[in-house]
Amino acid sequence: MRAALTIDNYGLDYLTASGVVPVLRDVSLAIAPGEVLGLVGESGSGKSSLAWALMRHLPANAREISGSLQLGDIDLQSLTAKQLTAVRGRRIGMVFQDPSTALNPTLTIGRQITEALMRHRDLNARDAKALAIELLGHVELRDPAAVLRRYPHEISGGEKQRVIIATAFGCRPDVILFDEPTTALDVITGARIIDLFARLRAETGVAALYISHDLAMMTRVADRVAVIRHGRIVEQAKASEIFSRPQHDYTRSLIAAVPRPERRLVHDIPGTDVLLQARGIEVQYGRAGLFRAAPPPATKAVDIDIRAGEIVGVVGESGSGKSSIARALTGLARFSGAISFDGGTLRGAGDMGAGYRRDVQIVFQHPDSSLNPRHRIGEILSRPLKLYGGDTAAVPRLLEQVRLPASYATRWPHQLSGGEKQRVAIARAFAARPRLVICDEITAPLDVSVQAQIIDLLLALRAETGAAYLFITHDLNLIRQIAHRIVVMRHGQLVDSRAIDAFGTDDVHPYTRELMAASPAPVG
Amino acid sequence: MSFAWLLRRLLLMIYTVAIVCVLVFAITQALPADAAQTLLGENASPEALAAVRTRLGLDDPVWLQFVHWVARAVSGNFGVSMRTGLPVAPEMLTALSRSLLLAAGSLALTLLVAVPMGMFAALRQGRVADTATSVIAYLGVSLPEFVTATVLALLLTDIVPWLPATGYVSPLENIGLALRHLALPVLTVSVILVAHVMRMMRSETLDVLQSDYVRAARLKGLPERTVLVRHVMGNALLPVITIVALDVGYLLGGIIVIEEIFAIPGIGRALMIAITTRDLPSIQAGAMIMATTYAITNTLADVVYALLDRRIRYD
Amino acid sequence: MTELLQRMIRKPQGVIGLTLLVALAILCLLGPWLAPYGPEKMDFLGRFRAPGWQNWLGADQFGRDVLSRLLSGARATVPMALAATLAGSAIGAVIGIGSAYLGGKSDEAIMRTNDAVMAIPGLLMALLLVSTLGNGAGNAVVAIALAFAPGMARVTRSVALAVRNQDYVKAAVARGEAAAHVIFREMLPNVMGPIIIEATIRVSFAVMLFATLSFLGLGAQPPASEWGLMVADARQYMHRAPWILIAPSAAIALSAIAFNLVGDALRDALNPRDDR
Repeated sequence: MRAALTIDNYGLDYLTASGVVPVLRDVSLAIAPGEVLGLVGESGSGKSSLAWALMRHLPANAREISGSLQLGDIDLQSLTAKQLTAVRGRRIGMVFQDPSTALNPTLTIGRQITEALMRHRDLNARDAKALAIELLGHVELRDPAAVLRRYPHEISGGEKQRVIIATAFGCRPDVILFDEPTTALDVITGARIIDLFARLRAETGVAALYISHDLAMMTRVADRVAVIRHGRIVEQAKASEIFSRPQHDYTRSLIAAVPRPERRLVHDIPGTDVLLQARGIEVQYGRAGLFRAAPPPATKAVDIDIRAGEIVGVVGESGSGKSSIARALTGLARFSGAISFDGGTLRGAGDMGAGYRRDVQIVFQHPDSSLNPRHRIGEILSRPLKLYGGDTAAVPRLLEQVRLPASYATRWPHQLSGGEKQRVAIARAFAARPRLVICDEITAPLDVSVQAQIIDLLLALRAETGAAYLFITHDLNLIRQIAHRIVVMRHGQLVDSRAIDAFGTDDVHPYTRELMAASPAPVG
Repeated sequence: MSFAWLLRRLLLMIYTVAIVCVLVFAITQALPADAAQTLLGENASPEALAAVRTRLGLDDPVWLQFVHWVARAVSGNFGVSMRTGLPVAPEMLTALSRSLLLAAGSLALTLLVAVPMGMFAALRQGRVADTATSVIAYLGVSLPEFVTATVLALLLTDIVPWLPATGYVSPLENIGLALRHLALPVLTVSVILVAHVMRMMRSETLDVLQSDYVRAARLKGLPERTVLVRHVMGNALLPVITIVALDVGYLLGGIIVIEEIFAIPGIGRALMIAITTRDLPSIQAGAMIMATTYAITNTLADVVYALLDRRIRYD
Repeated sequence: MTELLQRMIRKPQGVIGLTLLVALAILCLLGPWLAPYGPEKMDFLGRFRAPGWQNWLGADQFGRDVLSRLLSGARATVPMALAATLAGSAIGAVIGIGSAYLGGKSDEAIMRTNDAVMAIPGLLMALLLVSTLGNGAGNAVVAIALAFAPGMARVTRSVALAVRNQDYVKAAVARGEAAAHVIFREMLPNVMGPIIIEATIRVSFAVMLFATLSFLGLGAQPPASEWGLMVADARQYMHRAPWILIAPSAAIALSAIAFNLVGDALRDALNPRDDR
């Protein structure tokens, strides 16, 4: 039987101001009708470019240098613009990464679904509307008729993605491309979308190219998995086999980097002296303006204990208030409540003296904004040394400590990669010889292999200095590898707090259980 | 949009007008060490100075002067012109109506030309048409109004001799003649405004064209025309309101120069005459009317925008 | 700095802008010495002479050489505009940064008042101020500076707020750095860029505004060879000797264009750090 999608020896370049950049080379993939092929790669691997190439939506500076793209019996590269509008949506559909920007903000949801249905299913307006209602009900949206009348900003991210999926499936294409459809969503919402996809795919038998950076999740979603690196396919195998029998070194390293809760990386037990005790922390953002009341507090009476040398994980989805705790503890946000540290009690940023600020350091999430773009690395690292009475000659040693060459001291931040910038941020934190380092989602924007290296580095630094960590993340599997204790936050409240070996017991909070179910370990 | 928001917006407008009051009064009456001297010049006799002081109430403490001034202004009385002896307010308002005619004509012409041109330039981005329009727009923005007006007058009165170079005829008297007299000034103002608006329209349209939702619409297989009309235009036209509101302020400033050059008896010209003859009540009235017009226009634009844009919650 | 210049001359706009700017600088500094005739030198035999080898840009109604007047007039126009913009930016920057620093209700109150002041169009504000202070170039500079201040305050404030929300500023605050260090070492270098860009573009407005004030008789006074004044004088002879009008008009336009182009080139050069 003819393959639904055939990519044969495809090569792609981008012409940039600094020369020709190869993006894809010798890519050969085939998807049988009804099959789901997962394409796994890290950032810069070219996986998204392949999707744009298939949809024939490449940027003006793209040059296809070899190969062919076949959708069933259609040669995609030979289509004229007019023929393309007949093929897009109708024969090949796409679900995008960020649902909040993929819908037109000034048109109703109904309009945006029915226009596709009317075009590709040959329906009049009334029938299209009826079909739209049916489709939205099918993707588990409550009150579909009401949703049709709404505008995108009036529904949530997960609901928007369901609308987009419904539209794509509703046109009954042969193949649907999914470009990281859950990356922009919360863990639990994302897991539900994946369940929805599995159900719809079983019902409709559509073929799919599912692109993601998450190898673990992919083994649950796809039939076969292809691994792409620097524009080349390094391995293709059945989903059930790729984890257990990886052939290529790169696949092996990817697999090794995937967080697995049962694989502990920290084996010691911390002592019992409490380093920091936070009680009743309520974080308040924003003040009342001239006409507005102040917004409600971001957290509600949170209590956290951190022992010396301990790793405490704070897990939650976006809006749970976990980052707010970090800001309160470092005096970056106003809060009410009390922090006990070193025998003293602190009730606000004003109480935090030089000693506290030295002992408690923070590393931020976004490497691009946590280093001053107008300072060289050497200056960024020498600031804390000057402030806390260290020796500025220690800068090269700091860089070595985070496994960066000492020559980086003369570089500018924009010359470093994301992972390297995070290392500098960590070095900056450790320059003060802190007792507690707060890590606010520091690995979230990084590739999984880089993430593994950073975790490795953090554990090595902890072994050297005995610092404690407050590790904030949304990745439950990741934190279960390293934390001694984990607290779970939801809507500003602390809903669960348990030691690491207490995750299988019956008194686990239902929300924690949901999070665990949504962060599955990989198959194989 | 809630009533509370509307109320707050109106309060803001009133606050704006109040600040303008203070500012105009301060600059023209309170600041000058001796306003009477400024008005009459250096060679004025002490009697004349005293007479002016009494007439304008300049002997009272400043805050009292301000209170009197506001009290009178609110009731529509801006005093009597020192030049003509006639009440200021009716004169100024008539002048305003003429300026509004000029402004309305210019805005209409501008929107008709600049909006499509700006969108067109964005659609043809990088190509000759785009570069050409960008260059022209750049020039338009870099020429002061008086230069544009003078050069245009020079060119057009040579080519089209029946277009009068200056003067004004009320449309109520003779519509044909009125239009001929307005043609050149409207054209001049429009040229300047078109340059501004076109640049902004182009950049707004480009943003929309490069947005994720337009890309999604294209990849849904919608024909290009549908994408342009339904998805692009709806979003690209919304900022026009904001752009126009911004330009009204610019227009009000430029109108002073244009009316001076083309001898149109609008509020700009009235202000210039008031300034050069140091007619204090007329200066105050003219400035207040201009600034209030701007404040009202901005408020209207905000309200219209709120009605049209569904994304923002106004409560 | 050299890296910045290199980035700027990558595009044609940058090259043209910088060239014009350098030319302007030379005119302002050396103008009077470069002029073939004195700007005041009248030649009644050469009145309304068309452009030719004697007068490259022609002669005006008194036989004065237009080119010489133009060259000498550069320093009556451009440095004034620069001074006005600098002063206005400084005042605006203080208000803007102060408002951003205070935050909350004070910030809102200051900004609402600032916006209210902007309800008076720039030219009108300048006219009101000049009518109070008296005619003359110096007063025109003050008037323009005050007219520009609110706009610059707004821009400065939004830039300051954006920078203050960056993590590197928060990192410095969390470290316990003194406020002075945070403002001057962490924030200021990142705030300067966008403000300089905005100010550069504003200079072009200042040039036009200053010329307009002189045109209306309220700025520079005759017999100064300020370009706006030259246009005002030339209007009555517009049909007879258009070059008297066109030369200063072109000069004003080119100056404004120069600053506009340089401002845009700066913006492009300071922005994308990677070439994609």
